[in-house]
Parts: sequence; C-alpha cells; structure tokens
Amino acid sequence: MLFNSFEFLIFFIIIFIVYWLLNNNLRKQNILLLISSYIFYAWWDWRFLSLIIISSFIDFKAGSKIFASRTERQRKNWLLVSLIANLGLLSVFKYYNFFAESFADLMNIFGWQPNDLTLNIILPVGISFYTFQTLSYTIDIYRKQFEPTNDIISFFTFIAFFPQLVAGPIERASNLLPQIEKKRIFKKEWFNEGIIQIFIGLFRKIVIADTIGAYVDTIYGNVGLYNSTTIILATFLYAFQIYYDFAGYSDIAIGTAKLLGFKFNQNFNLPYFSKSLTEFWRKWHMSLSFWLRDYLYISLGGNRKGIKITYQNLMLTMLLGGLWHGSSWNFVIWGGIHGIVLSIEKYLKSNPNFTRTNGLSILGYPITFSIVLFSWIFFRSKDLSSAILAIKKIILFDFSVPFIGNYYLLINCIILLSIGILFDLYLFNKNIDLENFGAKFNMIKIAIITSIIIVLINLFYSTSNNFIYFQF
Amino acid sequence: MNTGSLKYIIKTILLILVISFLADKIVFITLNKISDKVYLGQRIGKINQYLEIKDDLDFIIFGSSRANHGVNPEILSKNSFNMGVDGTQIAYSAALIKLLPIQKEQVILLNIDTFNAFSKDYNGSDIDGLLVKYNRNKALKLEIDNLNQNNLIQNFYWSLSYNGLVFELLKNYFIDDSYDYKTYSGYDPIYVTKNQREIFKSIIKEEKSEDCKNNFTLNKIYRIKLREIKIFCKNNNKKLIIYTSPLFNDKCKDDNIQFSQIMKNEKLSYFDLTDFFKNNNSLEFWKDKVHLSNKGAEIFTKKIKKILDEN
Repeated sequence: MLFNSFEFLIFFIIIFIVYWLLNNNLRKQNILLLISSYIFYAWWDWRFLSLIIISSFIDFKAGSKIFASRTERQRKNWLLVSLIANLGLLSVFKYYNFFAESFADLMNIFGWQPNDLTLNIILPVGISFYTFQTLSYTIDIYRKQFEPTNDIISFFTFIAFFPQLVAGPIERASNLLPQIEKKRIFKKEWFNEGIIQIFIGLFRKIVIADTIGAYVDTIYGNVGLYNSTTIILATFLYAFQIYYDFAGYSDIAIGTAKLLGFKFNQNFNLPYFSKSLTEFWRKWHMSLSFWLRDYLYISLGGNRKGIKITYQNLMLTMLLGGLWHGSSWNFVIWGGIHGIVLSIEKYLKSNPNFTRTNGLSILGYPITFSIVLFSWIFFRSKDLSSAILAIKKIILFDFSVPFIGNYYLLINCIILLSIGILFDLYLFNKNIDLENFGAKFNMIKIAIITSIIIVLINLFYSTSNNFIYFQF
Repeated sequence: MNTGSLKYIIKTILLILVISFLADKIVFITLNKISDKVYLGQRIGKINQYLEIKDDLDFIIFGSSRANHGVNPEILSKNSFNMGVDGTQIAYSAALIKLLPIQKEQVILLNIDTFNAFSKDYNGSDIDGLLVKYNRNKALKLEIDNLNQNNLIQNFYWSLSYNGLVFELLKNYFIDDSYDYKTYSGYDPIYVTKNQREIFKSIIKEEKSEDCKNNFTLNKIYRIKLREIKIFCKNNNKKLIIYTSPLFNDKCKDDNIQFSQIMKNEKLSYFDLTDFFKNNNSLEFWKDKVHLSNKGAEIFTKKIKKILDEN
C-alpha cells in the first residue's frame, strides 16, 4: 500500500477515526495499530509478514534475556542471538545472490566456473529498515541504555508501526517505544504540523520527484546513447529526484505518525545546503547515518583508537552503509566515495593550516554538491558497467545540446524543481524545520495552504513510481 | 479525544474540502477559458481542432505517433485531417471516431500496431489523453468511464483534467497567438537531426535478437473497440480502412499474419504495410525503428493514396 494511493487514503481515514475513538483504552489502540500495520505490510506480500513476526519475537525475547542475564557472557550470547537472527535473515534475503554471484565472478578469474549458485529470492519490502530498527532495541539494552518492555503488543507495534515500516525513518526504541506505551493525547499543533507535512511530502514525491524521474529514467535507461551534457543534466536532476522522493516519503511518514500522536525524529534537513560531506550526512537520511554512527562506527571503536583506526572505521562504516542500500558493487563504491571524502575532511579538519582558511568555506557548498552528484552516478546506474560508461561519456566532454526528449516534460521538471528548491531556500534562510512548519498556522491558514497544495498536486502530479527507497 | 478536538478535526477537514473544492473550480474554469482558445499542441490544441472541424471533414487518419508522423493527409484529400496522437491506441481513436457526425460520408484510415493488438497488458489507458474533456464532454466521459480509466477523485476535483498540461497550455496560449490552426492538417513530419541520426545508428548497432510473441489472442479491448468502430462506420456511412505502419526491420511476422486473418474474419478492410520499405530501405526514411522521417512519410503516403485509389 503506497502512501500516495487511494487505498492508503481510505485505510488511513478508517484507522484515524477508530484509533481516536479508542483513546480511552491504550491496549486496544495499540492492538489496532499492530493489526493495521500488518494489513499495511501484507498489502504488498502477506508471506513476508512471517519474517517481521519472527524477527520481532526473537528480539522481544533476546531483549528480556539480555536484561535479565547475570553474567557478561550470557548478555553477549543473547545479543549474538539477536544479531545473527536479524542479520542472518537480511543476508539471506538481500545479499545471498550478490555474494553468490560475486563468488562465481571471483572463481571465474581463477579459471573455475562454478554452477549457478543463485536462488530465486524476492527481497521483502522494508527488511533493511525494520532489521536496523529492531537491532537498535537489543543493542541499546545490551549497552544498558534502555530497559526492555514486557508488553509484547507494544514491542511488536514498535517494529511494525506502519508509517515507518517500509522505508523509515529508522526509529530507535528509546524514542518510539515509550510513546507506544504511553497514552497519546490529541494535540491541535501536531495535527496542523502533520497535515502540512503530509501534503508537502506528497507534493515533493508525486509532483517533483516523479516528474523528474521520467526524464532521468529515459537517460539512465541507456546512457550510451547520450552526450556529456545530457548525462550531467540527468545526474543533476536525479540528485533532486532521490532527495524529493525520499524526503517526501519521510515527510508523509512523520506527518502520518503525528496525526496519530507520535513524534518521529527528523530524517532530512535540507542536505544539499551543506558545506562539507560531514555536514551532508548530518542532514541526509539522518535516522540511518546516526544509526550507522552509533551502532557501527562507535562499536568499531570510532575515533578512540588512533587516527589510522579512525579512518579505517569510517571507511568500513560507509562501505557497509553503501551495501545496506543494495546488494550491488555500485552501492559499495558509492559508500566508498563518501568514506574517502569523509576521511579527507577529517584529516583536513585536524590540520591547523586548513582550519585557518575558513573564509573560503562558502566554496564548500558547490564542492560538496559536486561530490554528492558524482557519487549519485553509481547509485543510479543499473550496474557497474553502466556507471563506468556514464563517467566515460562525461569525460568525453561532448558539451553539445542535451537530449530534450519530451520538451514539456523537461519544462515541467525545471519549473517544479524550482518551486521545490525555492521552498527549501525559504526554510533554510528562515531556519525553519519542516516538522514544525505547520504549528504557526491557524485552522483557516492550514485549510488555505493545504487547498493550494491539493490544486497544485491535481495539476502537476506525475504517474507515480514506487518510492525509490522501497527497493532497499 | 475530547469533543473540542473532534470538532477541530471535523472543521479543519471540512474547511479543506470546501476551500480546495472552490479553488479547484476557479482553476478549472480559468483553464477552460484558456484551453478553448488553444489550437496548438497535441494534447489539447489538436483535440480542440478536431472537435471543431470533424463534421466537415471527408478523410481522417487515426492512430498513434506512427500515424501522426507517417501520413500526410493533404496528399490524400483536400478536406482531410490527421488525428494521430503520440502514445495513443485503439481506445483513444475509437472514442474520437464515435464523435463523428452521423450519416455524413467520411473515410477513416485507422493505424493499428499489431504488437499492441496482441498485448495482454493493454487496458485502454491511452484514453487518458482525453481526460482533458472528461468534465466537459458527456460522450467522452462515458467512454472513459466504460474503460474504468476514470479517476474517482476527478468527479470532485475537476482540475485533474489539466494534470500535466498547464505549462504546455499556457505556452501555447501566450506564445503564439498568430498561429492559424486552419492551415494545420494534423500531420507532424519528423525532420531528423544529425544527432538523432547518430543515436539511431547506435541503436541499430546494439540491436539484439527479439523475442517474438507466440500467443496471438487479440486483446479484449482491441476486439471490443474494433467491433464498435466497425458497427459505427457501417451505420453511419463511413468507409473504414485499417492498416499497419512500416517498421524498419520487423523480425516477428506471425503477429501480422494472425492479425490479417482476424481482420479477414471480421470482414474489415486491412492492409499490412509493415514491410513496405523492406526492399527499398534507407536510414533517411527513418527517425528510429518505428517512426518514419518526413522523407519516409512522403513515400509512404503515396502508397496509401494508391491503396485508396484502388479501393
């Protein structure tokens, strides 16, 4: 069930009404959330519900056992159970074929051709997201930063909560679980914020991202056919397609949760307005980057074990972060590029000569954007050879007139993208978080703003593709 | 939830519905006013022109971009129009054919692409191209509804009719008011640029073998719409000629054979011209593997004229 579908609209209206009618009974409310979350997920493929249930059950048990264990060894063992079970499921469903193919390719180099080792496995929607979410629970308990819940319904709801189930934000147990266990109160401000954020998210997704996507798909469908200008233009547009697609999804998720009385953490904060890649990662897919920082980078030792190990940890974190996005070398390289640049930034930051050149920091914006743009080539290309071909075509420096294709489509892309960027610039200049944007408006203003967005959506929405991050 | 909150939610939602409904109607009426004066562009202007001149025409061509770019109606008849539109198929053509005046003698040349006719997935969604008239033309509304291609929300928000068309509409309204649509025959020849020619050459070089279909069940919507067109033409004094446009290099022949047989069984006049350029082919005649260049179209139209003269 997609957020931008008619089914979701009906589904959510029903849930919203019943949910608030049950406001005096927290347990019934949570059961409703759990059932509706499973229905939401089963709309894609009911068979994969079993994976979420298994994963939830293991971590519910593992969390309690870690907490109750008297010895460090027992605690570690139960943590291992959680890690092996969750990462095991993720590995089988997401990475098995990738590793099997890579192994076969490696063996080919040595002249041995193994039989086809790949399996016909379908990637369960959202597995990467809920795996990380559920792991945060057991790791936090292991680190004694969080106490387990005894309420299985609350815990299962925490894992499956439909606004963030399939594409995040990856909510930590420490933020979401206490909200599930506590009586929710309807707040007008949250209702206003939620409504506004949902409609802005919809606009970002189905108006901006999907319109841009039509042009990008044409070019990246066969990069070999196009000149340097066209590929650069398509990559530039893709940078905004993926941003508005994913940020739009997060907006709808955060807004939907707010209507139900939950506050998620911010997931995007105008990431292209960043002076460094370090800053970019504090603003892009924040729930993932902070997860990687807290549960991977720090677990590896972070920057506490000397400069060499710090760079090593940074690279490893980004490479695995890349692999998290998809089982392809493209994503690994994408993560690698970010890892290298982050390491360079870390080195420069520790260099006193560099820190004196702060006057040039304005150059950080275009430099950071260019690096991100370059890395998107790997992210968007369908395989490694296509990414290399795209780069080769750019390096040919054939800056003749770009391929236009559908003239009106490109005009639509440029105008709608301008609207998106101008709105982001407004938020950036005024230092406003979109999450709180709706709070300052009264009912009339909310209705007017929403109506304007509805009319704009009606006039400009594009045939919806899936949300890009669903594939991860 | 207390009563105050409940009232607040209901009031907000009602207010959003009322304001958005009114705003939608204002936008819709404004765009209608603009749209009615636009005769440029395939998605609005061409439909407007067709609706205005259809009753006086003697000869009309229907079909996809392959009809639009492939046949020059002026060579065929002085009082003619090419209503071929990019991306459209039988549902779109059928809806427009059925708007033609009853009892006026007219010739209809309908392009059918056989690979589409046997597609299992075709659902008539090309009729979406007429959604711009959904809330303004009852006959077209009925056609769209019958194919379940209507958007339920469009009954409430009428401006959905102009989805994706606004910039095109405004550009065509403001930029070229000297345009005289009466001189336009609906034919859009493709003048191939050097860049397009190079792209086409690269495509041919990379050409791989094609998986031909082996299931030749005529798509249900094609079957229904062909029947509807046939009955309409028979009852309303129209001469219907169906043809398939040329392909650069058609590797799958069975679909043409099967489609010819179906047309024969239906007693419809059909000409398979897929291989028209087979023995005299040149890159100059093509923009890509399925679309003729202006040069190809001129030669092909002469062939059509010959067929018409003989029939």
